[in-house]
Amino acid sequence: MTLLTYRAAAIEIEPGEDVLSALLRAEIDAPHSCRSGVCQSCMHRAVDGKPPAAAQQGLCDAQKGLGYFLACVCVPDTPLTIVPAQEAESRSGAVVHSIDRLSGEVVRLRLEHDAGFAYRPGQFLELITDDGLGRHYSIASVPEEDPFVELHIRLHPGGRMSRFIAEELAPGRRLHIAGPLGTCIYEGVDPEQPMTLIGSGTGLAPLVGVLRDALRRGHRGPIRLYHGAREREGLYLHDHLEALTERHANLSYVPRVLSDSGPQGGDVAAAALAHEDALPHTAFFLCGGEKLVGRLKRELYLKGASLKQMRSDTFLPAGGGR
Amino acid sequence: MSSLYERLGGEKAVDAAVDLFYRTVLADGRIARFFEGVNMENQRAKQKAFLTMAFGGPNKYTGKDMRKAHEKLVAKGLNDSHVDAVLEDLSRTLRQLGVDEKEVQEVAALADSVRNDVLNR
Repeated sequence: MTLLTYRAAAIEIEPGEDVLSALLRAEIDAPHSCRSGVCQSCMHRAVDGKPPAAAQQGLCDAQKGLGYFLACVCVPDTPLTIVPAQEAESRSGAVVHSIDRLSGEVVRLRLEHDAGFAYRPGQFLELITDDGLGRHYSIASVPEEDPFVELHIRLHPGGRMSRFIAEELAPGRRLHIAGPLGTCIYEGVDPEQPMTLIGSGTGLAPLVGVLRDALRRGHRGPIRLYHGAREREGLYLHDHLEALTERHANLSYVPRVLSDSGPQGGDVAAAALAHEDALPHTAFFLCGGEKLVGRLKRELYLKGASLKQMRSDTFLPAGGGR
Repeated sequence: MSSLYERLGGEKAVDAAVDLFYRTVLADGRIARFFEGVNMENQRAKQKAFLTMAFGGPNKYTGKDMRKAHEKLVAKGLNDSHVDAVLEDLSRTLRQLGVDEKEVQEVAALADSVRNDVLNR
């Protein structure tokens, strides 16, 4: 019986030996630093098998649920198949179900994925064309309710993927997908806990996924969703979300438009930072550009929020990410 | 005589100190710029490893990682005055937590022992 498999290769591991030592002995250049289960440099993910609890101490619940663990303190007693922390599982295929405009620059792409693609709302996947062009997009759908994966895609003028999506994608077209990845998911949130979701632009997609997942599971704590856009048109789910607040008394929706001077005008981060309290107990979900997420994380942490209770997803410019 | 780490309260004490310490450092205008753009979860984990060492707790400190981690910051101007600021923030954190002055000095001395590694000299 093979106790340890790295990607597809069986790795020799001695009784009582930790995974990191076994990887290094097999000449795999695994990142590491403290070798005491503290610094988290050696994080890996089990794609098959369950890591021992001792190897997951200090990780957030979302990470634990997704099989992340620290290799330096992981002494497996049952078989594990592992990959580096930031490596997507495998490629599969998907067929375009529908493609619709949600606003001038945002399209909603729904894909019917092949069997075997398992995800949680709020994670992201890589969309790959036949030419090998790949971009990351967050998932707004809920696998228990939707027969498709839903992505919200902002079209950038001149962007290669944007042009492909706008000009060539149509229902029935086949694509490749890889993933999912990401820990911006509902797992680990207490049903009574306050939840605050803050995002800008298509950062709304993972937040909608998490929100729907929370409501579906009967979340009882207050949920506040902040969505920021540059122009009013960028609040591309405004009416849908307004309607949702009518049906759920614990949900509030706070839209902010940067270019607007009315009551819904202003910066979404400033609005959220001004209104949020009960910080140490709140589960935060932060999605958007690097500047926004970085600022919110820092400011919320300085005000007393817990980093472990902050889940985030940073959208990077094309080429580097989403 | 119990060890410094035991007297301070072990891992629980490190856990209590790490957020307070990290917030103090982030809000310290003298050194805040060196923390811009870093991954905060990773940084917190590293601060915890550092505090464990400074508390005299179990660690496998070699200095090699400390050197590598600060290499770029030294190029950006990190010097003795910034190490002093961090040590000051650490002592303030410990006093806020009600740690006795004798232990505060012991921790500060342990933390100061990595100065040359941090400054890559």
